Amino acid sequence: MTLWQGGDPAPFPPGGGALTAEGLHYELGGRAILDHVQLQVQPGEVLALIGPNGAGKTTLLRALARLLRPLGGTVSLDGRDVWRMRPRPVARHMALAPQGAELWPLSVEQFVGLGRAPHRGWLLPLGPDDRAAVQHALERTGMTLLRERSVTELSGGEQRRAILARALAQDPRVLLLDEPTAALDLKYQVAILSLARQLAHEDGLSVVITLHDLNQAAGVADRLALLANGRVLAVGTPDEVLTAEMIGATYGVPVSVCRHPLDGTPLITPLRETW
Amino acid sequence: MTGRLRLRPAIWAPTLALGLVVVAILSLGVGAVWLPPDQVARALLIPHSPDAISTAVTIVWDLRLARVLLAALVGAGLAGAGAAFQGMFRTPLADPFVIGASGGAALGATMAILGKVSIGAATVPAAAFMGAMLAVMTVYGITLASGANSATALLLAGAALSTILSAVVSLLMLMNDRAIQEIFAWLLGGFSGRSWPHLAMSGPPILAGLAMLWLLARPLDALTSGEETARSLGLPLNVARGAIVAAASLVTAAAVAASGLIGFIGLAAPHIARLFCGSSHARLIPASALVGALLLLIADSAARTLIAPTELPVGVLTALLGGPFFLWMLGWGGSR
Repeated sequence: MTLWQGGDPAPFPPGGGALTAEGLHYELGGRAILDHVQLQVQPGEVLALIGPNGAGKTTLLRALARLLRPLGGTVSLDGRDVWRMRPRPVARHMALAPQGAELWPLSVEQFVGLGRAPHRGWLLPLGPDDRAAVQHALERTGMTLLRERSVTELSGGEQRRAILARALAQDPRVLLLDEPTAALDLKYQVAILSLARQLAHEDGLSVVITLHDLNQAAGVADRLALLANGRVLAVGTPDEVLTAEMIGATYGVPVSVCRHPLDGTPLITPLRETW
Repeated sequence: MTGRLRLRPAIWAPTLALGLVVVAILSLGVGAVWLPPDQVARALLIPHSPDAISTAVTIVWDLRLARVLLAALVGAGLAGAGAAFQGMFRTPLADPFVIGASGGAALGATMAILGKVSIGAATVPAAAFMGAMLAVMTVYGITLASGANSATALLLAGAALSTILSAVVSLLMLMNDRAIQEIFAWLLGGFSGRSWPHLAMSGPPILAGLAMLWLLARPLDALTSGEETARSLGLPLNVARGAIVAAASLVTAAAVAASGLIGFIGLAAPHIARLFCGSSHARLIPASALVGALLLLIADSAARTLIAPTELPVGVLTALLGGPFFLWMLGWGGSR
């Protein structure tokens, strides 16, 4: 737990990134926020966490990110308990793009460069490989032209992309995205979701993503986990989880499920006359 | 504070350094005897040559140089510590005294002035230094022990302890009315009568603390994105915050010990620096230090000359002249 620590003594196997939550439990004021959650995500896979407001999606993501210490259960990264690891080695393998971020007028480049600290250390200046990683992260998020701008002067959508770029600069094996499409216009919603898929399917990352929009979740995820009241109600492919019965019962709104005309994924439409 | 005027370090660093040298030479010249810059320069650079005027050498080296260097260092220290606290607490309102250093220093100095124990000229500075460090450690300890352990808890504990300590100082002043003048003069802050021993005592800790803060620039940058983000980037929060508080408080305590309570510099200099260098601490800490040194040197020169032969307390001057300037700057920055 020092600022000047050197390399990780026992590096992870190359291409690793399996993240497992076992019996994850957390309570607040006597109410279970996470109720013995069992979940796994494999390298090369996009797992979407869906569920009504207050279901525990963000809490689960924070617990996975080693930001919230669970009262029971473990989170392990390639078989190693993250709470038995120091924060920096964890941050070299797992990155979180939070939903809301507090911003300070750093330039986009300086802001994204913070993602290199887990690799470079906190006291040394960034090296050429760090700058290359920052450049790469800026390119993948379409932020290259904005690199000199202050993050406080960006639009909401640009800020979200800067936050994602910082997470990518960490060069993680596991990427946790909290509502990455919120406040983005249609073009960037599509861009971010296809980037998430690309990172999983082509770069072999494990991607966990919380989403409100069930149709986005159906389009982006290989597997979905449906949460309610801190419990995982169902895990499976979009076809298995996004059924009219399941969604209707969980959200308390009758829905109809049809097929996406192009890729055949489930499309959910609320039945409006009940309002 | 948007940084639209951002300049390259290759431009602002030499400009500020040059400005500092020019102002220092002018500052060495002003006083009861005016020394033109060429005489000052000759006295500084070639004190033993037959060309140098011996009274000029004496005035520069024995009377003014230590004070000028001390003013520059105190200004640099207060500004650097202010920049660090503003970043760590994520508030533009923070100054070097935000977690109790001023209250502790004031109480330490007051007790030394009233006390019977004396270790010579160093008594009051040493007591002020110890008071400041003790106060900050108390605030930090309370926050750690309470388990709240957040920047907000640290700010609140600092505010509470400052209030308590200044109440104690007021009480001590009321009960010892003969010493009121001396205590009050110290509280107002200034460099009157400061010389080489003060510089030797406060200079090294100020420089060491500033160097440490500069080294901690990236943890500071990470903390400005919020504690949760800093943690997700693998920053050991307590180690980083402890190191920042320790370095900034060392600087503040050493500065206060040398000069008494000088307000405003630590608040305003970082804001002025941000206008041209942006908010990344690797640049902001040195830029703030240079701006702070420059401001306090100007203020001290003015304090010595405005109503000569009487000296104004420089703390009063920084607030009187700097405050309105700062307000104007905020308005101007906001309207653009």
